[in-house]
Amino acid sequence: MKNIYLVPLILSIFSLAVIAIALQLDTSPEMIVGDSMQARSFPIFLMILKLILIGILTFQFYKNNPKPVALEKYHTWGSMFLFLLFYLLTVYTDMFIGIFVVIFLMSILWGERRIWVAFLTATITPGLVFLLFDYVLKIRFPRGMLMNLYYG
Amino acid sequence: MFEQAISAMASVVVDPYLLGLIFATTILGVIIGVLPGLGATTGAALLLPFTLTMDPVHAIAVLATIYVSATFAGSITAILINTPGTSAAAATTFDGYPLAQKGEAGRALGIAVISSTVGGIFSVLILCFAAPLLARVAYEFRSPEYFALTVFGLSMLASISAGGAVKNLIGGIFGVWLSTIGAERVTGIERFMFGNYELYEGLHFVPIFIGLFAISELLVQSKTVDKIIKTVSMKAVKLPTLEDYKKIWKTILRSCGIGTFIGVLPAEGATVASMIGYSEARRWSKNKKEFGKGSIEGIAGAEAANNAATGGAMVPTMVLGIPGSGTTAIILVGLMVHGLRPGVYLFTEQVEKVYQIFGSMFVANVMFMLMGLYAAKLFARVSLVPTQILWPIVFALSVIGAYAFQGQLLDVWLALIFGVIGFFARRHGFSVAPIAVGLILGEMVETNLQHSLKMFDGAWWMILTQPLALMFLVFAFLGLCGPMIFSWITKQKD
Repeated sequence: MKNIYLVPLILSIFSLAVIAIALQLDTSPEMIVGDSMQARSFPIFLMILKLILIGILTFQFYKNNPKPVALEKYHTWGSMFLFLLFYLLTVYTDMFIGIFVVIFLMSILWGERRIWVAFLTATITPGLVFLLFDYVLKIRFPRGMLMNLYYG
Repeated sequence: MFEQAISAMASVVVDPYLLGLIFATTILGVIIGVLPGLGATTGAALLLPFTLTMDPVHAIAVLATIYVSATFAGSITAILINTPGTSAAAATTFDGYPLAQKGEAGRALGIAVISSTVGGIFSVLILCFAAPLLARVAYEFRSPEYFALTVFGLSMLASISAGGAVKNLIGGIFGVWLSTIGAERVTGIERFMFGNYELYEGLHFVPIFIGLFAISELLVQSKTVDKIIKTVSMKAVKLPTLEDYKKIWKTILRSCGIGTFIGVLPAEGATVASMIGYSEARRWSKNKKEFGKGSIEGIAGAEAANNAATGGAMVPTMVLGIPGSGTTAIILVGLMVHGLRPGVYLFTEQVEKVYQIFGSMFVANVMFMLMGLYAAKLFARVSLVPTQILWPIVFALSVIGAYAFQGQLLDVWLALIFGVIGFFARRHGFSVAPIAVGLILGEMVETNLQHSLKMFDGAWWMILTQPLALMFLVFAFLGLCGPMIFSWITKQKD
């Protein structure tokens, strides 16, 4: 199978999965729903519509034979990996440690050669944003190693 | 009513806090517009969490100012470095950059500034008059009409500039499906929550929009880190001469009309407006050969149209709750978050606030004109901020903004997940704007369909017996199938 058909395939599997899950949803008694729809009906209707459109899209691909999308460089995949790292650091240490590490590594990953510039960006940005949200907008941040020290 | 509107608009000028806010936001908007990749939509998405604690009028004024100023500012980099700051300024590069290369960057920017300002002010005036009139018509709307109208709005996604019609519709349907996550509104049955009770009230727009527009753009920009930008030197910005005005005034007026009309159409926006404004300027021009080589009519046509679309796009957003573009989708969320329910109610119960918002847009147009004329060179330097510094900062603003909306980490994860989804969608030619519009319209479609079915005892075809609803559904059909039917008829004739 050509790579270009991977997208319609994934979209179709997703739509079928949604229909399968929707079919498992509870139904409401007639006296509540009346002449209207059950909760499952609308998502199923949407996914059927989507499957029809996916069929048309596949036909268009077959007719036009578009070029497969080129694979991105390491910057993109590395950035996505940093999102994962951010999740782990936020959950196990602190959101601001996560932001610091991601900004620093992202700057380096994207080509910043001056370590001190990356370090300053990673320090000043979350610092300023924290001050703005904490003092001006009165937002309380999630507890973690740093926030426990700050909030006490 | 008229006096109330005028006094509300005038109150913006005598409110120093609001004026200061618009001034600061205009600067920010121009910076956002100048930075390649960071357009009005991304800027508004990033700024939305900052407006949460503001007064509703101030909050919407901030978002609307970002919208108009960033839309204009995209032209600065389009002219100076051949890189449109926003997609709406893409048509400006056709003639703006060639004119700049001839050593007339100042003249090109002057034309862009004046055309954008005239376009923006024209559309705000139309907004002031058209919105209340449309609101009166909308007063007659019931569920069948609203259902048909939202279907029409969704059908217009097919013609959004980026992506193909089918891909946009798939994106729109995906967005509508996202709106079904959470407890169903009539029966309370949980849908697609997988035991996560933070999703009981559904997906909130703010983190999703931050993900779709800001985070996905970050990933898209990661592909351009090696790009080298060539700048054009520029002397002080010159105002167009009398001779120039004579040459472009008809083009500006035409583009004002085109831009406002296209902006009013649901789901159409400044990008489409600028392209059509440009092509119409070329069609009607006596100097067609100059186009592509530095025609001032080309710059005026594109710039007047894209800024005229901003006011036009606010009409369906505020009157019908149907966003006219990605940025107005965010403004609509801003309205909802601040308890300003779009629709007739807004124009009957909160007229003063509405006109203060319109007044703010008017003031913002004047402010960006002054900034464009006197500080464009300075702002152009901002575009040289290295991407390896800019985008990590955008990451920090995105995650903290997503968290600040409700103070829950789930929103941060949602923003990141939808950022990745948005990136993969764009990677394969799907635009993210239809997903956002679908998410907003999803609830309206389902709720109004349910109410209509109850009204007609389950007989869905009775919706077609309502004249206005039928009209919108016919429009939707024509919007979807019109181009195919038209090309078939043309083929038959040939």
